Amino acid sequence: VGLVVGSNPMSMDAIAARLLERFAGDVEHVRIQEPDTIVARIAREKLKDVAARLKADPEVGYETLNWVAGVDRHTAFESVYHVYSWKTNTWIELHVELPKDKPEVDTVCDIWPAADWHEREAWDMVGIRYLGHPDLRRILLKDDFIGHPLRKDYVDLAENHPHV
Amino acid sequence: MYDHFDTPEPDEAVKLALRRIEESTARGEGSDMDGLAFNEVVVNMGPQHPSTHGVLRLVCTIDGELVKDVIPVIGYLHRCKEKLAEKRTYFQYIPIIDRTEYLASINCEWGYVLAVEKLAGIQVTRRAEFIRVITGELMRIASHLVAVGTFTADLSPLGTAMVFYMFRDREQILDLMEELSGARMMFNYFRFGGVRYDLPDGWVEKCREFLKSFPAKIKEYEALVDDNAIFLQRTQGKGVITQQDVIDYGITGPNARASGIDLDLRRHRPYSVYPELDFQIVSAQHGDIFDRYRCRMDEMRQSLKIVEQCLDMLPKGPVQIGSLRAPYVITPPPGSCYVGQENPRGEYGTYIESDGSRYPYRLKFRDPCFCNLQLFPKLLSGNKIADAVAISGSIDLVLGGIDR
Repeated sequence: VGLVVGSNPMSMDAIAARLLERFAGDVEHVRIQEPDTIVARIAREKLKDVAARLKADPEVGYETLNWVAGVDRHTAFESVYHVYSWKTNTWIELHVELPKDKPEVDTVCDIWPAADWHEREAWDMVGIRYLGHPDLRRILLKDDFIGHPLRKDYVDLAENHPHV
Repeated sequence: MYDHFDTPEPDEAVKLALRRIEESTARGEGSDMDGLAFNEVVVNMGPQHPSTHGVLRLVCTIDGELVKDVIPVIGYLHRCKEKLAEKRTYFQYIPIIDRTEYLASINCEWGYVLAVEKLAGIQVTRRAEFIRVITGELMRIASHLVAVGTFTADLSPLGTAMVFYMFRDREQILDLMEELSGARMMFNYFRFGGVRYDLPDGWVEKCREFLKSFPAKIKEYEALVDDNAIFLQRTQGKGVITQQDVIDYGITGPNARASGIDLDLRRHRPYSVYPELDFQIVSAQHGDIFDRYRCRMDEMRQSLKIVEQCLDMLPKGPVQIGSLRAPYVITPPPGSCYVGQENPRGEYGTYIESDGSRYPYRLKFRDPCFCNLQLFPKLLSGNKIADAVAISGSIDLVLGGIDR
């Protein structure tokens, strides 16, 4: 067996303290969600920079992106990233709030390659535009589908399915 | 008027493949020894193709027998599972989960039920926990049987012999599940805080009989395949997933463990009664097709061991919380939670956001196959077409889960 999971065990409090110390001002509202996840908020301009530093952190090292979800919160959109740290065997959940009229955020594809399809799905379903994504096509719905069905104000009309 | 001999307009994926050929030609790549680039052809494989095990479509750029580039196209089985959740109560949604990943549907139910229980703070009865582990591990065996069976049929050194034997034995598990839940595949068996029915009379004995007879059958399969020269030639050293791929793309399950990574959420993010049970995490070293096959076979043995322990330890008591029935209407407090659970194919995650009402505000599934499929362009490029079929079989995709 090569890669050992949890080679650097740290308590959740220690990880949270480390994040608060190293990312002061960048990562906000850090809280521990039992038993093994840290939830935090990031301003959208800082996402790319913070993501790269989170991945490169020598002790915690959030290296694997698990999934990305787009959420419509009525007043704003949110892009949620769930990232795994092999060294500590813990997860971090990053929430990035996006304005309703301009749901755009930098892609994290070049930092975590797994983001590619997950960001396409969030674009397809919720209509969040990931700037700099190499191939931001629809993924689950047809190419000519109109609208983003997981938005709370989406109304399903026959015109939205031109291929049917 | 539709003319059957008209070439249809290429869709976005084919256009992308053609564009990539043009770009590589412009860079001077993708040409043969005479500098000719036009021997690269875009070939469409699927969505109706026996070796894709579902409605997966691969737009392949091939040069003779060599696969140069692959663009997977998914969504042919999309049934708006996440949208449906907006208009269903938490309880009403359980049978819909069964239809996502249909080969291991009880494990998917489990993931969803775990997430809701965590969000709403519901305790599960102890007997129900054991029944959940028993059913979950039985379905893991059934799912691996389909995975390995259809994969060997794709390779076809044995024709379809293996797949028939494996489906025959899988039927025993489905019979047990049918007796328990009333259905062969779409169980609708888990409830918040427990399971729907207790074990019927004589079920434990039947299950023990199965546990007794099955190890001999695993040996039989191995005797058929493991020393087969054609099988070994076609699987060893082909389609290697490196540890870096696992880290970059979030590969989980047997596909990751075959590359020498001991990640198993039953151990590393324990849920239910797994911490009390004795089992090993199966892993291999090379990460090639053969190792992925070996991992699945050895995992079946471990699952048998787990079921046996659970039958021995099975406590008495209720299988549901409350007086008679598990709660039908639940309203979790506002908040969100994510639970990852070890499905036969990897980490099956459920992310739920609640706004305090009877309906989930946002439900999101992290499907292991969706993440594993993302590696395909990298994994298949540079292989022969026949090997590409073998590799995609060894990854074990279920399109119902990918498309949701």
